[in-house]
Amino acid sequence: MSRWLAEVLAVAGKDLRTEFRTRVALNALALFALTTLAAVSYTIGPYRLSAEDRPFLLSVLLWIVIFFAALAGLDRSFVKEEESHTAGLLRLAAAPTVVWAGKLVYNLVLILVLMAILAPLFCVLMGFEIVMPWRFVAVLAAGGFGLAVTTTIVAAIIAQAMTRGALFSVLSLPLLLPLLIFLIQGTTAVSTGDLATWSASLRAVLSMAGVMTVVSALLFPVVWRD
Amino acid sequence: MTRIGTALKWLLLVWMAVVIWAAFMWVPSASGFKGESSRIVFFHVPTAWVATLAFLVSCVASVMYLKRRSPQDDNRAAVSAGLGLVFAVLATVTGAIFAKIMWGAYWNWDPRQTSITILLLIYAAYFALRGAVPDPEKRATLAAVYSILAFVTVPFLMFVVPRIYWSLHPDVITNPDPDNRLDSAHLRVLLASLAGFTGLYVWLYTLGSRIEAIRHRRRQEVL
Repeated sequence: MSRWLAEVLAVAGKDLRTEFRTRVALNALALFALTTLAAVSYTIGPYRLSAEDRPFLLSVLLWIVIFFAALAGLDRSFVKEEESHTAGLLRLAAAPTVVWAGKLVYNLVLILVLMAILAPLFCVLMGFEIVMPWRFVAVLAAGGFGLAVTTTIVAAIIAQAMTRGALFSVLSLPLLLPLLIFLIQGTTAVSTGDLATWSASLRAVLSMAGVMTVVSALLFPVVWRD
Repeated sequence: MTRIGTALKWLLLVWMAVVIWAAFMWVPSASGFKGESSRIVFFHVPTAWVATLAFLVSCVASVMYLKRRSPQDDNRAAVSAGLGLVFAVLATVTGAIFAKIMWGAYWNWDPRQTSITILLLIYAAYFALRGAVPDPEKRATLAAVYSILAFVTVPFLMFVVPRIYWSLHPDVITNPDPDNRLDSAHLRVLLASLAGFTGLYVWLYTLGSRIEAIRHRRRQEVL
């Protein structure tokens, strides 16, 4: 088990190291998020929305920015292996589950870094008041995990197909939409202080992410094999 | 075999004709609904049921493909997903008509409408993926994986979303209130309609699978 974990961390470490050398995915994620945030903040700002609409509308905007930024950058994890023709070597070097878990860790780190920058900035620029900050962090972490799991398996699928860029959004978004609905509900709840809704939506997010984890762990070796 | 098949087709024709007649003529209009709008339940519920069944069959065929690697299973999954899309569109349209009569708008993003929209998007994406992979074997594998992933979200869309959010959608099957149940005439016609639509699906599905099998054989002969 510890050996498996060490291999997973090695794959994730390799990806993170190459990522920090070129910063292709990180730049795409961060700049996409920042430009969208600038556009949203410029057009809406902290005073345009009426007080009763604020929690819901601001949660929607926050998650839309995060989701679309994720779609702009997270497909790199497998596409770059195919583009640099290193996928074959990775197949020989590591077991499929190791590759899957390593890429998942890599995507998770990217999305969590993005959220750590974006969420506070969003709250400051839009005047988004959070009543329960730690529960907000829990929603963000659960959402990041769900996003990372789903995008990892979809990225593995589209790396084998043509017209990769467009296909990634087309395949990911419908699978992510249920998650998005629950996450918006949960974020609205941490802003209004509604504990019951928060726990219901967090449980829905976690169960969905859990099911996705199990199913994609089982299916990944099939996608990765040839 | 062909004689039984022909007989079954005629039986299906008569059965559906009787169901349509009963739905419009025999059953009294239900109380609590505007005008004759309650009659759409005999077509809306069966199409929604067939769509779910078709997606389930597609998922099972995909699992079978990953196990056996037979191109037939891939064809079955694709045919069933296509039929599921058609019936899901029919369920959406009948639902929207009912919504217009009862609640005043064709579309208001009720949780049920949201769920079915996401389902339509998912299975449309399934066909986008099929179109983007030229190699048949790879296409079958990737499509099977996506179909299974897609089906994982179905229970969340069908059961979790409408439970967490307040919905206008009438909830007959899991309704705890005994006064709000279907009476026996409605129930009989609804069950007959469910059986008829399921028969229609089985017929279309075998037809589609046979066409795909012939196409596959022709492709093998040409290559």
